[in-house]
Amino acid sequence: MKERRMNPRKASALKDFICVVPALILIAIFTYYPILELFRISFTDWNLLNDTYKYVGVKNWKWLFAGSGTKYLWNSLRVTILYSIGELSVTLIGGMIFALIFNRMTRGFAAMRAVVFMPKYVAMSSAAVVFLWILNTDTGILNYILSIAGINAVDWLGNRHTALLSVLMVTGWRCIGYGMMVYLSAMMGISTDYYEAAALDGANAVQKFFKITLPMLSPTTLFLFVTTFLSSMKVFQSVDILTQGGPYRSTEVFVYNIYRYAMVDFRMDRASTVAIFFFFLLLIITVATMKISSNKVTYDS
Amino acid sequence: MRKGMALVLASAMAAGALTGCGGGGSTGKAANVTTAAQETEAVDPAMYEVTEPITIKWWHALEDQYSGIVEQVVNDFNSSQDLITVEAEYIGSYSKLNEALVAAHAAGTGLPAITVANTPYVAEYGAGGLTENLDPYIEASGYDVSDFGNGMLEAAKYDGSQVSLPFLISTQILYYNKDKVDELGITLPETWDEMDAFMEAGTKKAADGTTEMYATIIPGWDQWYFETFYLNQGVKIINDDQVTTDLGGEKAVEIAAKIKEWCDNGYTYWTGTADDASSNMRQNFISGKALSVVHTTSLYNNYVDQVDFEVGMHWLPGAETKNQEIGGCVVLIPSKNDQATKNAAWQFMQYLVGKDVNMTWAEGTGYMPTRKSVLETEEGKAFLEKKPAFQPIFDNLDLINPRIQHKGWSQLATIWKNSMAELIMEGGDVQESMTVMAEEIDDVLGDV
Amino acid sequence: MSKEMNQNKRNEAAKRRRKIKTAAQCILAAIVMIIVVFPIYWMLVSSVKSQEEILLAVPTLWPREFHFENYINVLNRGNFAKYYYNTIVMTAGILVSQVITGVFAAYGFSKGKFKGQNLIFLIVLGALMIPIQVTFIPIYIMMANWGMSDTFAGLILPVAVSPYFIFMLRQNFMAIDDSYIEAARIDGLGRVGIITKILAPMCKSALFTVILVTFTDGWNSYFWPKIIAMGEKRRVLTIGLAYLQNTFAGQETMNNHEVMAGAVLAVVPVIILFFIFQKYMLTGYSKAAMK
Repeated sequence: MKERRMNPRKASALKDFICVVPALILIAIFTYYPILELFRISFTDWNLLNDTYKYVGVKNWKWLFAGSGTKYLWNSLRVTILYSIGELSVTLIGGMIFALIFNRMTRGFAAMRAVVFMPKYVAMSSAAVVFLWILNTDTGILNYILSIAGINAVDWLGNRHTALLSVLMVTGWRCIGYGMMVYLSAMMGISTDYYEAAALDGANAVQKFFKITLPMLSPTTLFLFVTTFLSSMKVFQSVDILTQGGPYRSTEVFVYNIYRYAMVDFRMDRASTVAIFFFFLLLIITVATMKISSNKVTYDS
Repeated sequence: MRKGMALVLASAMAAGALTGCGGGGSTGKAANVTTAAQETEAVDPAMYEVTEPITIKWWHALEDQYSGIVEQVVNDFNSSQDLITVEAEYIGSYSKLNEALVAAHAAGTGLPAITVANTPYVAEYGAGGLTENLDPYIEASGYDVSDFGNGMLEAAKYDGSQVSLPFLISTQILYYNKDKVDELGITLPETWDEMDAFMEAGTKKAADGTTEMYATIIPGWDQWYFETFYLNQGVKIINDDQVTTDLGGEKAVEIAAKIKEWCDNGYTYWTGTADDASSNMRQNFISGKALSVVHTTSLYNNYVDQVDFEVGMHWLPGAETKNQEIGGCVVLIPSKNDQATKNAAWQFMQYLVGKDVNMTWAEGTGYMPTRKSVLETEEGKAFLEKKPAFQPIFDNLDLINPRIQHKGWSQLATIWKNSMAELIMEGGDVQESMTVMAEEIDDVLGDV
Repeated sequence: MSKEMNQNKRNEAAKRRRKIKTAAQCILAAIVMIIVVFPIYWMLVSSVKSQEEILLAVPTLWPREFHFENYINVLNRGNFAKYYYNTIVMTAGILVSQVITGVFAAYGFSKGKFKGQNLIFLIVLGALMIPIQVTFIPIYIMMANWGMSDTFAGLILPVAVSPYFIFMLRQNFMAIDDSYIEAARIDGLGRVGIITKILAPMCKSALFTVILVTFTDGWNSYFWPKIIAMGEKRRVLTIGLAYLQNTFAGQETMNNHEVMAGAVLAVVPVIILFFIFQKYMLTGYSKAAMK
């Protein structure tokens, strides 16, 4: 026994390693193993309604890229990108505008900022049911306000042209205060020297904003862009509560598409195939944005 | 490599069924073992008796408006005996209930002891081994099923086995505002060809061309409401080969084009598939904005209670045939429950589908009597005296057919109603839309 | 003389302009704030209105009568008391497991030394790129096979580790000088002691911020609970609310006042936390944004 005792350095390394083991095991089981499983399932005909399944080769991949699944794949991709653009615009442009409006260091403004930021902490499900109520065609207050202005009632969630917009309303409401806070804290980091120098040169407020504030905030903008883009690709909850992907799948974002195949149609095979596609999509986006941001960061410094 | 869930599930099912003394008789591959085991053992009534106190869950899809009657039925049962306590749980719409049930079956936990299921799901569940075969139970307890209407009993079978029993049965019907129809002297359409004239006569338009009163409204949130128009004109929603559809064919396109034309002309509007489509349609009928609506007979009392005019019921216009279809729900016992739970569920099921409870529903709602001993006797006449509007249904009982049974049905239905809604509400070429839809349906039917 | 007066005038004009600008900004900010806060206000007032009142053709801005019994109804009818219990247990479970696995792993990656450390850290970080929205199908099947659907274990296990948590803590631990650790070792502290007595207290505020983020994320989580807890037994608040919306507000009865009461119940704990720990939460999410 004694000969087999490890030397202290090895024992220490082992103990250090044991510290990371629980996390490692859980990540292996719940993140990496499922990816392998997804690949395997994508080559079967696994329908949860059936007792058994068999391997069917690339049938599901054919279905996805050259079958009846193709249409909905591109549809969900299109909807997700549209949604992402919407969320990005609200967070970046809206957040910036809000930051300019609330950029005053008084107690009153601090309180107002806190209130504007609060929706971020309202659970999406609560926010969604509140907006369902506000957007209700017959009894919603938004249509009532519009009717005062002489506008006919809008079927916000039942109409293809307004359904995604309605989903974005909820998202925007929750995100805009967050964009504002991130921009504001970055703005505080900009040295006043720049503005004083510009003032001496006779620059007006608009020029100062475009010549100083905006360029100085570009790392922040990039950071917001990357994080918001990635999280917006995973949107599910607001769609699930507000539209369930409807009307006629016009708000069916990517995750909802996978969810539908898996938990509504019970086609695990098809759902897995789409999920793998989604996995690669996220991977490409992540790597691409990481490349861009690392280039950008070195450029700035 | 085939150690995935399906096999585990299948073997678990087979094992469970064997040790549970042959309850799980369903049709899949694994279940054949069970059936064999079952046949060797003669049915022993003692096996299906409830001996210990037990609490069981009943899933249903009966909305708030039925909660009083649900409560009453459950309470009556609970107080009628000492051993079984039933807890009713409202799961949501038929499709929500379907999702929850299949997921629970796959997971093997959280299953209800007994559940309702919309009529078209019987085949899906039967084929997937989700339902307990009730034949041995029926035999063991000597329960008389021959009193059920034949069509209804057939609709609750899969592959010759009684995998469920008819519970709340309805059919499609055209509700009409009798006062207005009489006032305007409108003849209700008996055939599809007469629809054009009816649509034109029944519609009232304002000076600016907007519609003040629609002639009728056909629900678009469930294809059940419009599929008979296709069936009666010879369109095969699922062809005899079981893997293709005729919905892209000439006749089907013609029917869809006709409906679209009515919508475009303002004679009717398409409800779409949104959650509030049903309440909006009802509101239109109640407030007089629609002369008639196609809906399910089960809502008869609901309509009558809410309107200040006389509500009439009219058999849907036919064509080559004048058939309609069974709607509503059956009750079934999920096969993965243990035997004690199944036995208790069976006791409750007999009570639920029994004649007395059935008549409580029939009188309190618009669901139909399911028993021949009511439908074909003096009792039926007495019922009709109370609800004369049901005359057309009693006249046409033989024309109420079981639903089309196919494993891919619910996917087909989703594709169809989405496609219909998109075509009519967004516009587009009917032929093209139907062709694309048919291709998609073929793909689903050939691959389930 | 006239030059001075001009100067004065100009100053005054500038001052006035600045004042007007300030006033305009205040008014604009107030208007924007009112618009942003309106949905929350509307949720609150609708939750205490009667059913007749919420269905009025002309909505009332202030309730005519207060119907606090809506909350009681929701607690009973929607079974919200049970959803509360489930949410609390689930959130606590996620919190505890993420803290334990996170703190130890962060220690191992920052202060520990073992072969393949960097590679293993990369593997852990790589998990950030694979959200559960991609992997939920096999996880669901796995959990179902283990009989874990509709259980707390099913709700918690797949999210028991947060690579983000590990990453954030590792950054903070690395900033602590090794001499502290050496000193502690000489005092005879083991790894657990070093973590709980030295590292954790020194990174208190960072740790607290990450815990708050974890808490809110857990409390508000929706996707995974929807998949794994389909039945009523382990339904959480977010799902319960969506269910309430679908079943009671939907087609037949317009019970939106009760749904609003449910919505209020679901957000109250987090909003209270938000106001107590405002400082942490405002900065917390800017840091959390890298998730």
